[in-house]
Amino acid sequence: MGKNIRLLQGNEACVEGALLAGVRFFGGYPITPSTEIAEGLARRLPLVDGTFVQMEDEIGSLAAVIGASVAGVKAMTATSGPGFSLMQEHIGYAYMAEAPCVVIDVQRGGPSTGLPTKVSQSDIMQAAYGTHGDYRAIVLSASSCEECLLYTIKAVNLSEKYRTPVVLLTDEVIGHMREKVEIPDPEELEIVDRVKPEVPPEWYKHFEITPTFISPMASFGDGYRFNITGLTHDEMGFPTAKPVQIKAKLDKLRKKIERNKEDICEIKTTYMDDEPHVVVLSTGIVSRAANQAVKMARQKRMKVGAIQLVTVWPFPDELIMQYMKSCRHLIVAELNQGQILKEIERYIDKRHTKIESLQRYDSELITPQDILQKVREVK
Amino acid sequence: MSQYEVTFAGFGGQGIMTAGQLLAYTGMNAGKQVAWIPSYGPEMRGGTAYCTVVVSDERIGSPIINRPQGICVFNRPSLDKFGPRVKPGGLLIINSSLVDATSDRDDIQVLEIPANDIAQKAGSGKATNMVVLGAFVGATGIVEFDKLKETLTEKMGRKKDLLQINYKALDEGYELGRKAKEEKVKG
Repeated sequence: MGKNIRLLQGNEACVEGALLAGVRFFGGYPITPSTEIAEGLARRLPLVDGTFVQMEDEIGSLAAVIGASVAGVKAMTATSGPGFSLMQEHIGYAYMAEAPCVVIDVQRGGPSTGLPTKVSQSDIMQAAYGTHGDYRAIVLSASSCEECLLYTIKAVNLSEKYRTPVVLLTDEVIGHMREKVEIPDPEELEIVDRVKPEVPPEWYKHFEITPTFISPMASFGDGYRFNITGLTHDEMGFPTAKPVQIKAKLDKLRKKIERNKEDICEIKTTYMDDEPHVVVLSTGIVSRAANQAVKMARQKRMKVGAIQLVTVWPFPDELIMQYMKSCRHLIVAELNQGQILKEIERYIDKRHTKIESLQRYDSELITPQDILQKVREVK
Repeated sequence: MSQYEVTFAGFGGQGIMTAGQLLAYTGMNAGKQVAWIPSYGPEMRGGTAYCTVVVSDERIGSPIINRPQGICVFNRPSLDKFGPRVKPGGLLIINSSLVDATSDRDDIQVLEIPANDIAQKAGSGKATNMVVLGAFVGATGIVEFDKLKETLTEKMGRKKDLLQINYKALDEGYELGRKAKEEKVKG
Protein backbone atom coordinates (compact mmCIF):
# COMPACT_ATOMS: atom_id res chain seq x y z
CA MET A 1 0.00 0.00 0.00
CA GLY A 2 1.28 3.45 -0.92
CA LYS A 3 1.80 6.14 1.62
CA ASN A 4 -1.24 8.21 2.46
CA ILE A 5 0.01 11.76 1.91
CA ARG A 6 -2.28 14.77 2.18
CA LEU A 7 -2.03 18.55 2.14
CA LEU A 8 -3.46 19.33 5.56
CA GLN A 9 -3.96 22.34 7.76
CA GLY A 10 -2.57 22.00 11.26
CA ASN A 11 -6.14 21.97 12.53
CA GLU A 12 -7.12 19.24 10.08
CA ALA A 13 -4.06 17.26 11.12
CA CYS A 14 -5.29 17.45 14.72
CA VAL A 15 -8.57 15.92 13.54
CA GLU A 16 -6.73 13.02 11.89
CA GLY A 17 -4.59 12.53 14.98
CA ALA A 18 -7.60 12.53 17.28
CA LEU A 19 -9.40 9.89 15.22
CA LEU A 20 -6.29 7.70 15.02
CA ALA A 21 -5.81 8.02 18.80
CA GLY A 22 -9.33 6.72 19.33
CA VAL A 23 -11.09 9.95 20.31
CA ARG A 24 -14.83 9.35 19.94
CA PHE A 25 -16.26 12.41 21.66
CA PHE A 26 -15.82 16.10 21.01
CA GLY A 27 -17.67 18.74 22.97
CA GLY A 28 -16.77 22.24 21.94
CA TYR A 29 -17.62 25.75 20.96
CA PRO A 30 -16.17 27.21 17.77
CA ILE A 31 -13.56 29.93 18.07
CA THR A 32 -11.00 31.30 15.62
CA PRO A 33 -8.37 30.02 14.94
CA SER A 34 -9.36 26.56 16.20
CA THR A 35 -12.74 26.18 14.47
CA GLU A 36 -11.57 23.76 11.77
CA ILE A 37 -10.88 21.14 14.45
CA ALA A 38 -14.53 21.27 15.54
CA GLU A 39 -15.72 21.36 11.93
CA GLY A 40 -13.60 18.37 10.98
CA LEU A 41 -14.68 16.25 13.91
CA ALA A 42 -18.34 17.26 13.42
CA ARG A 43 -18.08 15.68 9.97
CA ARG A 44 -15.96 12.70 10.86
CA LEU A 45 -17.01 11.52 14.32
CA PRO A 46 -20.52 10.37 13.32
CA LEU A 47 -18.93 8.16 10.65
CA VAL A 48 -17.04 6.17 13.30
CA ASP A 49 -19.92 5.95 15.80
CA GLY A 50 -18.52 8.90 17.70
CA THR A 51 -20.34 11.90 19.11
CA PHE A 52 -19.94 15.58 18.35
CA VAL A 53 -21.74 18.13 20.47
CA GLN A 54 -21.59 21.85 20.02
CA MET A 55 -22.17 23.12 23.54
CA GLU A 56 -23.54 26.46 24.72
CA ASP A 57 -20.08 27.75 25.64
CA GLU A 58 -16.60 26.62 26.62
CA ILE A 59 -17.54 25.92 30.24
CA GLY A 60 -20.21 23.52 29.07
CA SER A 61 -17.84 22.09 26.47
CA LEU A 62 -15.35 20.79 28.96
CA ALA A 63 -18.13 19.62 31.28
CA ALA A 64 -19.43 17.47 28.43
CA VAL A 65 -15.93 16.20 27.69
CA ILE A 66 -15.41 15.17 31.33
CA GLY A 67 -18.79 13.42 31.32
CA ALA A 68 -17.87 11.46 28.20
CA SER A 69 -14.49 10.61 29.67
CA VAL A 70 -15.84 9.11 32.90
CA ALA A 71 -18.35 7.20 30.77
CA GLY A 72 -15.35 5.50 29.18
CA VAL A 73 -14.88 7.39 25.92
CA LYS A 74 -11.72 9.14 24.80
CA ALA A 75 -12.82 12.76 24.72
CA MET A 76 -11.41 16.11 23.72
CA THR A 77 -12.12 19.70 22.87
CA ALA A 78 -10.36 22.50 21.01
CA THR A 79 -10.32 26.21 21.60
CA SER A 80 -8.26 29.37 21.62
CA GLY A 81 -7.28 31.97 24.26
CA PRO A 82 -10.66 33.37 25.34
CA GLY A 83 -12.29 29.94 25.28
CA PHE A 84 -9.33 28.42 27.08
CA SER A 85 -9.85 30.97 29.86
CA LEU A 86 -13.49 29.90 30.23
CA MET A 87 -12.44 26.26 30.33
CA GLN A 88 -10.10 26.73 33.27
CA GLU A 89 -12.82 26.01 35.83
CA HIS A 90 -13.49 22.57 34.43
CA ILE A 91 -9.89 21.81 33.61
CA GLY A 92 -9.43 22.07 37.37
CA TYR A 93 -12.34 19.67 37.81
CA ALA A 94 -10.72 17.22 35.41
CA TYR A 95 -7.43 17.37 37.35
CA MET A 96 -9.28 16.73 40.58
CA ALA A 97 -11.55 14.00 39.21
CA GLU A 98 -8.56 12.54 37.30
CA ALA A 99 -10.61 12.39 34.12
CA PRO A 100 -8.43 11.85 31.05
CA CYS A 101 -9.17 14.39 28.31
CA VAL A 102 -7.36 16.55 25.78
CA VAL A 103 -7.67 20.28 25.21
CA ILE A 104 -6.09 21.71 22.07
CA ASP A 105 -5.36 25.41 22.44
CA VAL A 106 -4.69 27.05 19.08
CA GLN A 107 -3.04 30.14 20.49
CA ARG A 108 -3.89 33.65 19.31
CA GLY A 109 -2.94 37.05 20.67
CA GLY A 110 -4.39 38.19 24.01
CA PRO A 111 -5.31 39.10 26.70
CA SER A 112 -9.08 38.94 26.27
CA THR A 113 -10.40 38.68 22.70
CA GLY A 114 -7.02 40.03 21.59
CA LEU A 115 -6.06 39.10 18.03
CA PRO A 116 -8.32 36.34 16.67
CA THR A 117 -6.37 35.78 13.46
CA LYS A 118 -2.83 36.49 14.64
CA VAL A 119 -0.15 34.25 16.00
CA SER A 120 1.04 34.13 19.61
CA GLN A 121 2.63 31.86 22.20
CA SER A 122 1.23 33.68 25.19
CA ASP A 123 -0.68 30.79 26.76
CA ILE A 124 2.46 28.92 27.88
CA MET A 125 1.90 29.88 31.50
CA GLN A 126 -1.88 29.64 31.40
CA ALA A 127 -1.63 26.08 30.10
CA ALA A 128 0.22 25.07 33.26
CA TYR A 129 -1.17 27.41 35.88
CA GLY A 130 -4.50 28.58 34.44
CA THR A 131 -6.80 26.97 36.97
CA HIS A 132 -6.52 27.42 40.71
CA GLY A 133 -5.18 24.85 43.13
CA ASP A 134 -2.08 22.74 43.38
CA TYR A 135 -1.55 20.35 40.50
CA ARG A 136 0.89 19.43 37.76
CA ALA A 137 0.01 19.84 34.12
CA ILE A 138 1.12 17.99 31.01
CA VAL A 139 1.42 20.39 28.09
CA LEU A 140 2.77 19.59 24.63
CA SER A 141 3.56 21.95 21.77
CA ALA A 142 3.54 21.33 17.99
CA SER A 143 5.70 23.11 15.40
CA SER A 144 4.33 21.72 12.13
CA CYS A 145 1.22 20.21 10.62
CA GLU A 146 2.75 16.76 10.88
CA GLU A 147 3.47 17.33 14.57
CA CYS A 148 -0.15 18.44 15.05
CA LEU A 149 -1.17 14.95 14.02
CA LEU A 150 1.50 13.09 15.99
CA TYR A 151 1.24 15.15 19.17
CA THR A 152 -2.55 14.96 19.25
CA ILE A 153 -2.04 11.20 19.44
CA LYS A 154 0.69 11.66 22.05
CA ALA A 155 -1.59 13.96 24.08
CA VAL A 156 -4.43 11.43 24.06
CA ASN A 157 -2.02 8.64 25.01
CA LEU A 158 -0.54 10.59 27.92
CA SER A 159 -3.98 11.61 29.19
CA GLU A 160 -5.12 8.00 29.20
CA LYS A 161 -1.91 6.74 30.77
CA TYR A 162 -1.79 9.29 33.59
CA ARG A 163 -5.53 9.90 34.00
CA THR A 164 -5.16 13.62 33.61
CA PRO A 165 -6.09 16.43 31.23
CA VAL A 166 -3.40 17.11 28.64
CA VAL A 167 -3.11 20.40 26.78
CA LEU A 168 -1.71 20.57 23.26
CA LEU A 169 -0.55 24.03 22.26
CA THR A 170 -0.47 25.04 18.62
CA ASP A 171 -0.97 28.52 17.22
CA GLU A 172 -2.79 30.49 14.53
CA VAL A 173 -0.07 29.96 11.94
CA ILE A 174 0.29 26.20 12.40
CA GLY A 175 -3.47 25.84 12.73
CA HIS A 176 -4.16 27.48 9.38
CA MET A 177 -0.98 26.60 7.50
CA ARG A 178 -1.13 23.73 5.06
CA GLU A 179 1.72 21.26 4.71
CA LYS A 180 2.31 17.83 3.36
CA VAL A 181 1.32 15.36 6.07
CA GLU A 182 1.76 11.62 5.96
CA ILE A 183 -1.13 9.84 7.64
CA PRO A 184 0.48 7.00 9.55
CA ASP A 185 -0.65 3.42 9.23
CA PRO A 186 -2.94 2.76 12.24
CA GLU A 187 -1.32 -0.66 12.66
CA GLU A 188 2.05 0.92 13.34
CA LEU A 189 0.86 3.41 15.95
CA GLU A 190 1.16 2.96 19.66
CA ILE A 191 -2.25 3.72 21.14
CA VAL A 192 -2.66 3.79 24.91
CA ASP A 193 -5.95 2.96 26.63
CA ARG A 194 -6.65 3.71 30.29
CA VAL A 195 -6.06 0.84 32.69
CA LYS A 196 -9.31 -0.77 33.81
CA PRO A 197 -9.76 -2.31 37.26
CA GLU A 198 -9.20 -6.05 37.64
CA VAL A 199 -10.53 -6.30 41.20
CA PRO A 200 -14.13 -7.24 42.01
CA PRO A 201 -16.44 -4.20 42.27
CA GLU A 202 -16.65 -4.30 46.07
CA TRP A 203 -12.86 -3.81 46.34
CA TYR A 204 -12.68 -1.04 43.79
CA LYS A 205 -11.47 2.42 44.71
CA HIS A 206 -11.72 4.95 41.87
CA PHE A 207 -8.89 7.07 43.29
CA GLU A 208 -6.80 4.32 44.86
CA ILE A 209 -3.35 5.46 45.89
CA THR A 210 -1.19 2.90 44.13
CA PRO A 211 2.63 2.70 44.12
CA THR A 212 2.65 4.55 40.78
CA PHE A 213 -0.04 7.02 41.95
CA ILE A 214 -2.06 6.14 38.86
CA SER A 215 -5.38 4.46 39.65
CA PRO A 216 -7.15 2.00 37.37
CA MET A 217 -10.30 3.63 36.04
CA ALA A 218 -13.72 2.05 35.74
CA SER A 219 -16.33 3.75 33.60
CA PHE A 220 -19.83 4.68 34.65
CA GLY A 221 -21.97 1.71 33.79
CA ASP A 222 -19.21 -0.90 34.21
CA GLY A 223 -20.76 -2.08 37.48
CA TYR A 224 -18.21 -0.38 39.72
CA ARG A 225 -19.43 2.10 42.32
CA PHE A 226 -17.63 5.40 42.73
CA ASN A 227 -18.23 9.10 43.22
CA ILE A 228 -16.94 12.02 41.19
CA THR A 229 -16.62 15.46 42.70
CA GLY A 230 -14.59 18.63 42.49
CA LEU A 231 -14.28 18.60 46.26
CA THR A 232 -11.07 17.16 47.66
CA HIS A 233 -11.91 13.52 48.20
CA ASP A 234 -10.81 10.18 49.59
CA GLU A 235 -9.94 7.12 47.52
CA MET A 236 -13.62 6.35 46.96
CA GLY A 237 -14.22 9.83 45.64
CA PHE A 238 -16.23 11.13 48.59
CA PRO A 239 -15.44 14.58 50.00
CA THR A 240 -13.02 14.54 52.87
CA ALA A 241 -11.82 17.02 55.48
CA LYS A 242 -9.15 14.72 56.91
CA PRO A 243 -5.70 16.37 56.55
CA VAL A 244 -4.04 13.00 55.88
CA GLN A 245 -6.37 12.24 52.99
CA ILE A 246 -6.18 15.78 51.64
CA LYS A 247 -2.40 15.67 51.56
CA ALA A 248 -2.44 12.20 50.03
CA LYS A 249 -4.71 13.39 47.20
CA LEU A 250 -2.59 16.43 46.39
CA ASP A 251 0.61 14.38 46.57
CA LYS A 252 -0.97 11.92 44.16
CA LEU A 253 -1.78 14.63 41.61
CA ARG A 254 1.78 15.92 41.77
CA LYS A 255 3.72 12.68 42.01
CA LYS A 256 1.98 10.84 39.17
CA ILE A 257 3.38 13.53 36.88
CA GLU A 258 6.67 14.37 38.60
CA ARG A 259 7.81 10.78 38.97
CA ASN A 260 7.20 10.10 35.31
CA LYS A 261 8.92 13.12 33.84
CA GLU A 262 11.33 10.87 32.01
CA ASP A 263 8.43 9.23 30.17
CA ILE A 264 6.49 12.44 29.59
CA CYS A 265 9.24 14.88 28.65
CA GLU A 266 10.57 15.15 25.12
CA ILE A 267 12.77 17.65 23.32
CA LYS A 268 14.08 17.74 19.76
CA THR A 269 17.58 18.88 18.96
CA THR A 270 19.24 20.27 15.83
CA TYR A 271 23.05 20.36 15.54
CA MET A 272 23.54 19.68 19.23
CA ASP A 273 26.02 16.81 18.90
CA ASP A 274 29.25 18.81 18.86
CA GLU A 275 28.66 20.75 22.09
CA PRO A 276 27.85 24.16 20.57
CA HIS A 277 28.54 27.25 22.67
CA VAL A 278 25.44 29.01 21.37
CA VAL A 279 22.06 27.33 21.68
CA VAL A 280 18.62 28.57 20.60
CA LEU A 281 15.77 27.37 22.83
CA SER A 282 12.22 27.63 21.49
CA THR A 283 8.96 25.78 21.00
CA GLY A 284 6.20 25.52 18.42
CA ILE A 285 6.37 27.59 15.25
CA VAL A 286 9.43 29.50 16.48
CA SER A 287 11.41 26.26 16.41
CA ARG A 288 10.97 26.16 12.65
CA ALA A 289 12.70 29.52 12.36
CA ALA A 290 15.32 28.46 14.91
CA ASN A 291 16.19 25.29 13.00
CA GLN A 292 16.49 27.23 9.76
CA ALA A 293 18.64 29.88 11.46
CA VAL A 294 20.94 27.21 12.88
CA LYS A 295 21.34 25.63 9.46
CA MET A 296 22.21 29.03 7.98
CA ALA A 297 24.70 29.64 10.79
CA ARG A 298 26.34 26.25 10.24
CA GLN A 299 26.81 27.07 6.56
CA LYS A 300 28.76 30.09 7.77
CA ARG A 301 30.75 27.81 10.07
CA MET A 302 29.22 29.13 13.26
CA LYS A 303 28.87 26.48 15.94
CA VAL A 304 25.23 26.88 16.93
CA GLY A 305 22.55 24.39 17.95
CA ALA A 306 18.83 24.44 18.63
CA ILE A 307 16.55 22.81 21.17
CA GLN A 308 12.81 22.50 20.59
CA LEU A 309 10.50 21.89 23.54
CA VAL A 310 8.00 19.21 22.59
CA THR A 311 6.89 18.89 26.19
CA VAL A 312 6.55 22.35 27.70
CA TRP A 313 5.17 21.11 31.03
CA PRO A 314 6.41 19.44 33.12
CA PHE A 315 9.36 21.60 32.13
CA PRO A 316 12.02 19.29 30.65
CA ASP A 317 14.86 20.85 32.65
CA GLU A 318 16.96 17.67 32.92
CA LEU A 319 16.85 17.13 29.17
CA ILE A 320 17.90 20.72 28.52
CA MET A 321 20.54 20.91 31.22
CA GLN A 322 22.58 18.04 29.78
CA TYR A 323 23.43 20.39 26.90
CA MET A 324 24.19 23.40 29.09
CA LYS A 325 27.66 22.28 30.21
CA SER A 326 29.13 23.47 26.94
CA CYS A 327 26.62 26.25 26.30
CA ARG A 328 27.86 29.80 26.92
CA HIS A 329 24.97 31.66 25.35
CA LEU A 330 21.39 30.46 25.50
CA ILE A 331 19.01 32.38 23.25
CA VAL A 332 15.39 31.94 24.29
CA ALA A 333 13.12 32.82 21.36
CA GLU A 334 9.36 33.05 21.90
CA LEU A 335 6.23 34.90 20.79
CA ASN A 336 5.46 36.47 24.17
CA GLN A 337 7.18 38.63 26.75
CA GLY A 338 9.38 35.95 28.24
CA GLN A 339 7.24 33.09 29.56
CA ILE A 340 9.73 30.31 28.74
CA LEU A 341 12.56 32.67 29.69
CA LYS A 342 11.28 32.99 33.26
CA GLU A 343 11.12 29.22 33.62
CA ILE A 344 14.55 28.39 32.18
CA GLU A 345 16.14 31.08 34.36
CA ARG A 346 15.39 28.91 37.38
CA TYR A 347 17.74 26.21 36.17
CA ILE A 348 20.60 28.01 34.45
CA ASP A 349 23.79 28.96 36.27
CA LYS A 350 24.17 32.48 34.91
CA ARG A 351 27.86 32.63 35.78
CA HIS A 352 28.37 29.87 33.25
CA THR A 353 25.65 30.44 30.63
CA LYS A 354 24.42 33.85 29.60
CA ILE A 355 20.75 33.98 28.76
CA GLU A 356 19.64 36.15 25.86
CA SER A 357 15.98 36.74 25.15
CA LEU A 358 14.43 37.18 21.72
CA GLN A 359 10.81 38.14 22.05
CA ARG A 360 8.14 39.16 19.60
CA TYR A 361 4.56 39.94 20.53
CA ASP A 362 3.43 42.30 17.76
CA SER A 363 1.40 39.54 16.02
CA GLU A 364 4.21 38.72 13.57
CA LEU A 365 6.51 35.71 13.55
CA ILE A 366 10.14 35.57 14.58
CA THR A 367 12.06 34.92 11.35
CA PRO A 368 15.21 32.86 10.81
CA GLN A 369 17.02 36.15 10.03
CA ASP A 370 15.98 37.60 13.43
CA ILE A 371 17.49 34.60 15.18
CA LEU A 372 20.62 34.59 13.04
CA GLN A 373 21.18 38.23 13.86
CA LYS A 374 20.87 37.48 17.58
CA VAL A 375 23.36 34.65 17.17
CA ARG A 376 25.80 37.07 15.53
CA GLU A 377 25.33 39.56 18.36
CA VAL A 378 26.28 37.08 21.07
CA LYS A 379 29.10 35.46 19.11
CA MET B 1 15.15 24.93 -8.48
CA SER B 2 15.54 23.85 -4.92
CA GLN B 3 13.01 26.13 -3.29
CA TYR B 4 10.62 28.80 -4.54
CA GLU B 5 8.45 31.09 -2.44
CA VAL B 6 5.55 33.18 -3.70
CA THR B 7 3.12 35.49 -1.93
CA PHE B 8 -0.36 36.26 -3.21
CA ALA B 9 -1.77 39.45 -1.68
CA GLY B 10 -5.00 41.40 -2.02
CA PHE B 11 -8.24 41.85 -0.14
CA GLY B 12 -10.57 39.17 1.19
CA GLY B 13 -12.87 37.83 -1.52
CA GLN B 14 -10.41 38.07 -4.40
CA GLY B 15 -9.55 34.40 -4.23
CA ILE B 16 -6.08 34.97 -2.81
CA MET B 17 -6.21 31.90 -0.56
CA THR B 18 -7.68 29.70 -3.29
CA ALA B 19 -4.99 30.64 -5.79
CA GLY B 20 -2.29 29.80 -3.24
CA GLN B 21 -3.90 26.53 -2.26
CA LEU B 22 -4.27 25.44 -5.85
CA LEU B 23 -0.57 26.07 -6.42
CA ALA B 24 0.31 24.16 -3.24
CA TYR B 25 -1.86 21.20 -4.23
CA THR B 26 -0.32 21.17 -7.68
CA GLY B 27 3.18 21.17 -6.19
CA MET B 28 2.24 18.29 -3.93
CA ASN B 29 0.70 16.33 -6.80
CA ALA B 30 4.00 16.81 -8.64
CA GLY B 31 5.79 15.14 -5.72
CA LYS B 32 7.29 18.28 -4.20
CA GLN B 33 7.34 19.50 -0.63
CA VAL B 34 4.89 22.34 -0.06
CA ALA B 35 3.68 24.72 2.61
CA TRP B 36 0.80 27.19 2.37
CA ILE B 37 0.63 29.89 5.00
CA PRO B 38 -2.40 32.18 5.09
CA SER B 39 -2.72 35.51 6.84
CA TYR B 40 -5.85 37.57 7.11
CA GLY B 41 -7.65 40.00 9.37
CA PRO B 42 -10.71 39.27 11.51
CA GLU B 43 -13.07 40.18 8.66
CA MET B 44 -13.79 37.65 5.93
CA ARG B 45 -14.39 39.99 3.01
CA GLY B 46 -12.78 43.33 2.22
CA GLY B 47 -9.94 43.09 4.72
CA THR B 48 -6.35 42.51 3.76
CA ALA B 49 -5.47 38.93 2.99
CA TYR B 50 -2.32 37.28 1.79
CA CYS B 51 -0.83 33.84 1.65
CA THR B 52 2.61 32.48 0.97
CA VAL B 53 3.32 29.22 -0.82
CA VAL B 54 6.64 27.44 -0.54
CA VAL B 55 7.41 24.78 -3.15
CA SER B 56 10.60 22.83 -2.61
CA ASP B 57 12.47 19.76 -3.75
CA GLU B 58 13.62 19.18 -0.19
CA ARG B 59 11.98 19.15 3.20
CA ILE B 60 10.92 22.69 4.07
CA GLY B 61 12.77 24.01 7.12
CA SER B 62 11.13 27.25 7.98
CA PRO B 63 7.91 28.22 6.19
CA ILE B 64 8.46 31.76 7.45
CA ILE B 65 9.58 33.85 4.51
CA ASN B 66 10.84 37.43 4.68
CA ARG B 67 11.57 38.05 1.05
CA PRO B 68 9.86 35.73 -1.42
CA GLN B 69 11.10 35.35 -4.99
CA GLY B 70 7.65 35.95 -6.38
CA ILE B 71 4.83 38.25 -5.30
CA CYS B 72 1.44 38.70 -6.96
CA VAL B 73 -0.44 41.80 -5.83
CA PHE B 74 -4.16 42.13 -6.47
CA ASN B 75 -4.72 45.65 -5.11
CA ARG B 76 -2.91 48.90 -4.35
CA PRO B 77 -2.26 48.47 -0.60
CA SER B 78 -0.65 45.11 -1.36
CA LEU B 79 1.66 46.69 -3.91
CA ASP B 80 2.76 49.30 -1.39
CA LYS B 81 3.32 46.71 1.31
CA PHE B 82 4.82 43.85 -0.66
CA GLY B 83 6.40 45.50 -3.72
CA PRO B 84 9.60 46.38 -1.87
CA ARG B 85 9.87 42.86 -0.43
CA VAL B 86 10.41 40.96 -3.69
CA LYS B 87 13.82 39.31 -3.60
CA PRO B 88 16.26 40.90 -6.08
CA GLY B 89 16.02 39.00 -9.34
CA GLY B 90 12.49 37.95 -8.49
CA LEU B 91 9.09 38.50 -10.06
CA LEU B 92 6.32 40.98 -9.24
CA ILE B 93 2.93 40.50 -10.89
CA ILE B 94 0.57 43.47 -10.61
CA ASN B 95 -3.17 43.32 -11.25
CA SER B 96 -3.31 46.48 -13.33
CA SER B 97 -7.12 46.42 -13.52
CA LEU B 98 -7.24 47.63 -9.91
CA VAL B 99 -3.75 49.02 -9.36
CA ASP B 100 -3.02 52.31 -11.10
CA ALA B 101 0.59 52.41 -9.97
CA THR B 102 3.65 50.30 -10.70
CA SER B 103 6.94 49.46 -9.09
CA ASP B 104 10.05 51.52 -9.84
CA ARG B 105 12.39 48.68 -8.96
CA ASP B 106 14.80 47.73 -11.71
CA ASP B 107 16.29 44.70 -9.97
CA ILE B 108 13.19 42.56 -10.47
CA GLN B 109 10.91 41.51 -13.30
CA VAL B 110 7.60 43.42 -13.19
CA LEU B 111 4.61 42.02 -15.03
CA GLU B 112 1.43 44.10 -15.25
CA ILE B 113 -1.73 42.20 -16.12
CA PRO B 114 -5.29 43.55 -16.32
CA ALA B 115 -6.49 40.43 -14.54
CA ASN B 116 -10.02 41.60 -13.68
CA ASP B 117 -10.71 42.64 -17.25
CA ILE B 118 -9.38 39.38 -18.65
CA ALA B 119 -11.44 37.42 -16.17
CA GLN B 120 -14.57 39.38 -17.07
CA LYS B 121 -14.04 38.52 -20.72
CA ALA B 122 -13.49 34.88 -19.81
CA GLY B 123 -16.90 34.82 -18.16
CA SER B 124 -16.56 36.00 -14.57
CA GLY B 125 -14.64 38.63 -12.65
CA LYS B 126 -14.33 36.06 -9.89
CA ALA B 127 -11.72 34.21 -11.95
CA THR B 128 -9.24 37.09 -11.52
CA ASN B 129 -7.15 34.89 -9.25
CA MET B 130 -6.86 32.24 -11.97
CA VAL B 131 -5.59 34.80 -14.50
CA VAL B 132 -2.85 35.85 -12.08
CA LEU B 133 -2.02 32.27 -11.11
CA GLY B 134 -1.81 31.30 -14.79
CA ALA B 135 0.50 34.23 -15.46
CA PHE B 136 2.67 33.31 -12.50
CA VAL B 137 3.05 29.71 -13.60
CA GLY B 138 3.71 30.87 -17.19
CA ALA B 139 6.41 33.28 -16.10
CA THR B 140 8.16 30.96 -13.64
CA GLY B 141 7.41 27.37 -14.61
CA ILE B 142 7.41 26.38 -10.94
CA VAL B 143 4.87 23.70 -11.71
CA GLU B 144 3.77 22.24 -15.02
CA PHE B 145 0.78 24.02 -16.50
CA ASP B 146 -0.95 20.74 -17.35
CA LYS B 147 -0.54 19.58 -13.77
CA LEU B 148 -2.12 22.84 -12.59
CA LYS B 149 -5.16 22.26 -14.80
CA GLU B 150 -5.41 18.67 -13.66
CA THR B 151 -5.42 19.79 -10.05
CA LEU B 152 -8.05 22.43 -10.78
CA THR B 153 -10.24 19.74 -12.31
CA GLU B 154 -9.67 17.55 -9.28
CA LYS B 155 -10.67 20.35 -6.89
CA MET B 156 -13.52 21.91 -8.90
CA GLY B 157 -14.57 19.04 -11.13
CA ARG B 158 -18.18 19.03 -10.00
CA LYS B 159 -18.88 22.59 -11.10
CA LYS B 160 -18.58 22.05 -14.86
CA ASP B 161 -19.72 25.52 -16.01
CA LEU B 162 -17.35 27.29 -13.63
CA LEU B 163 -14.53 24.99 -14.64
CA GLN B 164 -14.67 26.22 -18.24
CA ILE B 165 -14.44 29.86 -17.14
CA ASN B 166 -11.51 29.04 -14.89
CA TYR B 167 -9.72 27.10 -17.62
CA LYS B 168 -10.09 30.08 -19.93
CA ALA B 169 -8.84 32.50 -17.28
CA LEU B 170 -5.84 30.26 -16.56
CA ASP B 171 -5.03 29.95 -20.28
CA GLU B 172 -5.17 33.69 -20.89
CA GLY B 173 -2.97 34.39 -17.89
CA TYR B 174 -0.54 31.63 -18.78
CA GLU B 175 -0.02 33.00 -22.30
CA LEU B 176 0.82 36.46 -20.92
CA GLY B 177 3.21 34.95 -18.39
CA ARG B 178 4.89 32.72 -20.94
CA LYS B 179 5.39 35.62 -23.38
CA ALA B 180 6.91 37.72 -20.62
CA LYS B 181 9.29 34.90 -19.82
CA GLU B 182 10.35 34.57 -23.46
CA GLU B 183 10.91 38.30 -23.74
CA LYS B 184 13.01 38.21 -20.59
CA VAL B 185 15.13 35.40 -22.00
CA LYS B 186 15.62 37.32 -25.27
CA GLY B 187 16.02 40.36 -23.18
